[in-house]
Amino acid sequence: MKNTQFMAVIAVALGLGLCFAVAADDKPYHVAEGNKVDKTTLEGWRTWRALACERCHGARQEGMVGPSLIEALKRISKDEFKDAVLKGRIEKGMPNFDGSKMVSENIDGLYAYLKGRSDGAIQPGRLEELK
Amino acid sequence: MVLTRTCTWGVLLGLAALPGLALANPEVIKLSQDAKNWAMQAGNMQNHRYSALKQISTDNVKDLRVAWTFSTGVLRGHEGGPLVIGDMLYIHSPFPNKVFAIALSDQQIKWKYEPKQDPTVIPVMCCDTVNRGLAYADGKIFLQQADTNLVALDARTGKELWKVKNGDPKKGETNTNAPHVFKDKVITGISGGEFGVRGYVAAYDIKTGKQVWKAYSTGPDAEMLMDPDRTMTWTDGRMAPVGRDSSLKTWQGDQWKIGGGTTWGWYSYDPKLNLMYYGSGNPSTWNPTQRPGDNKWSMTIWARDVDTGEAKWVYQMTPHDEWDFDGINEMILADGVSVKGKPRNVVVHFDRNGFGYTLDRATGELLVAAKYDPKVNWATHVDMKTGRPQVVKQYSTQAQGQDVNTKGVCPAALGSKDQQPAAYNPANKLFYVPTNHVCMDYEPFKVEYTAGQPFVGATLSMFPAPGSHGGMGNFIVWDAGTGKIVKSKPEKFSVWSGALVTAGNVACYGTLEGYLKCVDANDISKELYKFKTPSGIIGNVNTWEYKGKQYIGVLSGIGGWAGIGLAAGLEKDTDGLGAVGGYKDLKNYTELGGVLTVFSLP
Repeated sequence: MKNTQFMAVIAVALGLGLCFAVAADDKPYHVAEGNKVDKTTLEGWRTWRALACERCHGARQEGMVGPSLIEALKRISKDEFKDAVLKGRIEKGMPNFDGSKMVSENIDGLYAYLKGRSDGAIQPGRLEELK
Repeated sequence: MVLTRTCTWGVLLGLAALPGLALANPEVIKLSQDAKNWAMQAGNMQNHRYSALKQISTDNVKDLRVAWTFSTGVLRGHEGGPLVIGDMLYIHSPFPNKVFAIALSDQQIKWKYEPKQDPTVIPVMCCDTVNRGLAYADGKIFLQQADTNLVALDARTGKELWKVKNGDPKKGETNTNAPHVFKDKVITGISGGEFGVRGYVAAYDIKTGKQVWKAYSTGPDAEMLMDPDRTMTWTDGRMAPVGRDSSLKTWQGDQWKIGGGTTWGWYSYDPKLNLMYYGSGNPSTWNPTQRPGDNKWSMTIWARDVDTGEAKWVYQMTPHDEWDFDGINEMILADGVSVKGKPRNVVVHFDRNGFGYTLDRATGELLVAAKYDPKVNWATHVDMKTGRPQVVKQYSTQAQGQDVNTKGVCPAALGSKDQQPAAYNPANKLFYVPTNHVCMDYEPFKVEYTAGQPFVGATLSMFPAPGSHGGMGNFIVWDAGTGKIVKSKPEKFSVWSGALVTAGNVACYGTLEGYLKCVDANDISKELYKFKTPSGIIGNVNTWEYKGKQYIGVLSGIGGWAGIGLAAGLEKDTDGLGAVGGYKDLKNYTELGGVLTVFSLP
């Protein structure tokens, strides 16, 4: 009985450990000190900046005319995100960015950056490259 | 030959009756000279926003009360104001650009027009879908839709009479400006400086909608309707011809094709000189390092012949812009303004760059260029010989360079004043100016052009002017002859509403919190009346008379640039986010929603 309980605890612990490991690996970004990020994520931030996304979604992604991306990125999948950005949600005022080379090339980085913002792992504002 | 006014009108109306001759100008001038109407967005062609009505005066303005209200049923920013002609009032809304004709007798909606517009236009207007109002002439109401369609409606029925496409939203071209009727033409511009749009103004025949001329702000002389020998500009203290390729020489390669210089402001017209005046906006992108040269003729005051479109003179205020100081603000025509002891007929312009300019409007001579906010720091002064601003290196985003955050530039990109138009009182020859009191940090970065995508290239954050009263605006009185502030009244937020001044010695304006305020025009520190409308005011105040009673009307409906609080965080979480912080406070005062509020004495 005790043994079984012990085994169960171990199993749960292992399971949790596995969960943590998967979660860590799942994160599309690497960040240190809140403002140093991997190159892909950095390019994602630069894309955010170059396409002036803050004009609708706010400097801190908390939403203005457009919705809060802090909230949205907790709900939608990466595929849904890509779809919304590239094809737009025209009726809601979100343009399609598939015409932009920068967005098309950096869509993974853009997702990584916004996911990091949504998770609270990346700070708002200026970023630099994690060396 | 000297004609009496009645006689002149008789002749003009006689001419008007002849088929095929231009007739709108006399009609609109006549309507606007009758103070009972408010027949143009600015009240008259000189952009005065002045009314000769004096039933509402400094003595009784405190007794104003709401006579009636009208909801447009639209959210987001409501700029512009109603037109009143006889017993009808015409009011517009932001996108989808509804138009309502309302009978003043019982406030019944006589007709309503709602265009079908492609919603893809909304994102290219990002982030607000304002419209600055309608124009009237020849029994027609003119609407300049967001999707660039210019429409003529039958003023009696709302029936569409003609429609013409003025631009291409797929390239980022949209419209927010009010159309202007001068003579037999309806003249309009284009927006999209943040999308690399090449700015222009275009004139259409009011009868048919046929384009009569189109003149670009940049590019080859022929496309700007500029004559190298006849078009003049201020050069070494005198007027001289602009010379060949005056624009092309100031751009690298083909950059003028995506070079901005858009034209979404308030134009004016001098019937005697047959010249119209307007300003062109910022060069694209906001990153100055990417576009070397003076970038002519962005940031320019233009005088054009209304019949041919030919540029008579030009004056570039901010060569090689480094701060997004669009030059589109209203051009006000004033007569007999005393400059160095001599009466001059001038055009007065309060630029985004923080300088108030006074120019001889016949010749284009630069007479006065002075700061209308003492906090302006990006230039020490304008050299009156060259006409060029003397830029301070510390605040030069070009000198500081790409990817460097240039801090503490005053004014911010939204200018010491944006499009919110000033009023001019011909009685005391003073200007009543709604202003911003905001500074910024500005970090330019490299961007690539894709048609129809934002082409901005700078991150900025804005905050109330440091070392001042802590607010983000002032309402000021300005002497355009001397270039001096006569009086300044501090405001918590930018004064983003067009002003009105009347023969009753009352000056009125709206605030972003939503107050309509009326002050003593002789001493603007005396606030005589204040009323909280349903939403923040970015519309323009105007006045009319119906059945012996004077009314004051204003559109409320928060939005526009200030209402949106465009700002971006740099460096640290807290750094420079004051602007968002400042404008964010608006949430404590107001919510969205468009309403026309009409006031009168009991």
